[in-house]
Amino acid sequence: MTGDNGRFATPGGDLLGIEDLRTYFYTRDGVVKAVDGVSFVIGNGRTLGLVGESGCGKSITALSVMRLIERPGRIETGAIRLGDLDLLALDEEQMRGVRGARISMIFQEPMTSLNPVFTCGDQISEAITVHESIGRTEASERTIEMLAQVGIPDAKRRAHEYPHQLSGGMRQRVMIAMALSTHPELLIADEPTTALDVTIQAQILELMKELRERNRMAIMLITHDLGVIAEMADDVVVMYAGKVVEQADAFTVFERSHHPYTRGLLASIPRLGVKRERLEVIRGVVPNPLNLPAGCLFKRRCAYAMAICDNPPPFREVADGHLSRCWLTPAGEPPSVGAEADPETAAAAAAELSMEA
Amino acid sequence: MSETFTPPAPAPAAAAGPGGTLLEVRDLVKHFEIRGGLLGVSRIGAVRAVDGVSFFVRKGETLGLVGESGCGKTTLGKVILSLIPATSGSVAVNGKTVFDIPAKEQRRQGRKKVTVGRVEMKELRRDLQVVFQDPYGSLNPRMTVGEIVGEGPLVHGLKDKAKREELVRELLAKVGLNQSHIHRYPHEFSGGQRQRIGIARALALNPDFVVCDEPVSALDVSIQSQVLNLLDDLQQELGLTYLFIAHNLAVVEHISDRVGVMYVGKLVELAGVDELYQRPGHPYSVALLSAIPDPNPRRRKRRLVLKGDIPSPANPPAGCRFHTRCWLRERLGNPERCVAEEPLLRDLGGGHVAACHFSDEISPEVVAQAIGLATA
Repeated sequence: MTGDNGRFATPGGDLLGIEDLRTYFYTRDGVVKAVDGVSFVIGNGRTLGLVGESGCGKSITALSVMRLIERPGRIETGAIRLGDLDLLALDEEQMRGVRGARISMIFQEPMTSLNPVFTCGDQISEAITVHESIGRTEASERTIEMLAQVGIPDAKRRAHEYPHQLSGGMRQRVMIAMALSTHPELLIADEPTTALDVTIQAQILELMKELRERNRMAIMLITHDLGVIAEMADDVVVMYAGKVVEQADAFTVFERSHHPYTRGLLASIPRLGVKRERLEVIRGVVPNPLNLPAGCLFKRRCAYAMAICDNPPPFREVADGHLSRCWLTPAGEPPSVGAEADPETAAAAAAELSMEA
Repeated sequence: MSETFTPPAPAPAAAAGPGGTLLEVRDLVKHFEIRGGLLGVSRIGAVRAVDGVSFFVRKGETLGLVGESGCGKTTLGKVILSLIPATSGSVAVNGKTVFDIPAKEQRRQGRKKVTVGRVEMKELRRDLQVVFQDPYGSLNPRMTVGEIVGEGPLVHGLKDKAKREELVRELLAKVGLNQSHIHRYPHEFSGGQRQRIGIARALALNPDFVVCDEPVSALDVSIQSQVLNLLDDLQQELGLTYLFIAHNLAVVEHISDRVGVMYVGKLVELAGVDELYQRPGHPYSVALLSAIPDPNPRRRKRRLVLKGDIPSPANPPAGCRFHTRCWLRERLGNPERCVAEEPLLRDLGGGHVAACHFSDEISPEVVAQAIGLATA
């Protein structure tokens, strides 16, 4: 189903295009479809926010782009294009030339992503010399320059320190310095501030914004924090149980979201300065990935669930550049079969509506 | 490091405690000794995790406690519950002294240490319960839900198995869990459900006071609100009093009646929730509020970004502990007073206290100017 490819208005042209990506894990208990038909594009210099709860497949999507999926996981089908390069068609040698050079990644926990037995400076220099044929002196000069650029005071001295000598915020800065040292076109940031305190998070977000401007790079920002998304993202992709359920530009997602899951998420977060007696809740829990419901994956938790929801909803445009995977009409009304239709009528209507989409 | 200890002045807020006070904390200090030297026995310093904190909690209210990691909020909760012994200070629950440990020089002056005995402590434990952050680490994986929730009642004399099971079923229903899951093990539940088990355990002895230590921060967004609503409902139904420790200011604003802000072992501000969020009286509180990303893309704010890292509680800065990162001090031309003199909690009116020499200088205009400067 290539009709699923998600389009955003990308004025600067597309940088990364993911088409119908499927990454499955073959566990002892069965096949987990961690990423199940995901498509979206990231425009040049744009920041795309990938939102969802734990287990929804957002990190696996990122690791698939980096081709870092290990057994028992496997990328089944799909295409990942970086410019005119198909990343899934590259061999491991060629992929190493992309990974770290054209696409870099930073992770949630900087302590576990840095090697404890090498100094921060050595680790950054290594990243530079692997991808560029420059001498050690030049690499270490670039390293110090990078450390200064990410706001590490006294960069020359810090370059000789080991990760354990730095605070969490400083380690994340080192990770960012390392990721950016090769001037990548795309930075994948997987929960980059989740492990940090709020005042340190603010520092890192400001830094990422500044570097984004300066290096004109695109960012794939993965987080469950809708505040961080609102702050940083141009475009938003919402994932649920391995599928994209909604995508649009940030304003649309926050102000006119269509999918009941997105609306539920936005309604359930406590907001500063908004006094409410009770918080809205999304009832129930995320479905077991080994035992997903038939039809809409969200139906068991959805306030609008209807007979037609037993059929998989199409991922269709509800407004210009705004896609949603839901049977509700673009206006948010139940479809013409009605909420109380019997299963056969609903299935027939579903087939008809899917054809249109 | 010299071992001089300056006795903290009693907070005006604590002095003004009304008759309906459930918990009173005075001058609470918890230092963790750092040992080193040749045999690893000489004291080479101390982590001042909690360093002279005083406040009270009224019956039936929720006091929120916010601060960044390492500010001592969790240690404070544990010391209040006597899960770890205090270095000095006192805690009283319902007017009854749980412990009153004089500081060194007070001891020299002959003040006696008071702590309740084991039997009394066990009785007190009925009234004081806790819900922990990590719903994975705080439940014994080898015990069934029934055993976990029923352990407290068993220890406190409910020996009859049938009665205990009935009580556990009642509690499970109360926290929104399926009663038939009583014989399941923790690993069979999701994070949100485990947190409900933790809450059921805390409620099993019908306590007055529950310390909630980051009860929702390990949970997914859609589950957080379920647990917050549950805590709210239980408070109303059972008349519970909460000390709600969290780093998420939006969550704390939602659930709290009053909020205290901690920074490197000190309580730097305490006020009614609306007062604190609308008119913060400490530059650190201002920065914390400014740092939170707003889930609204049209309000991408220019925020007040603090410089540097949180200082180590093993070696806190002299004077005001916030002076190394303080934006207000910088705006005021770095007054010496912030380094020379430790600010005490001052009443700003209506039970709003803040520990800053220059609280009166904080205004929306000053904050706006500081933001302009910080991001220029």
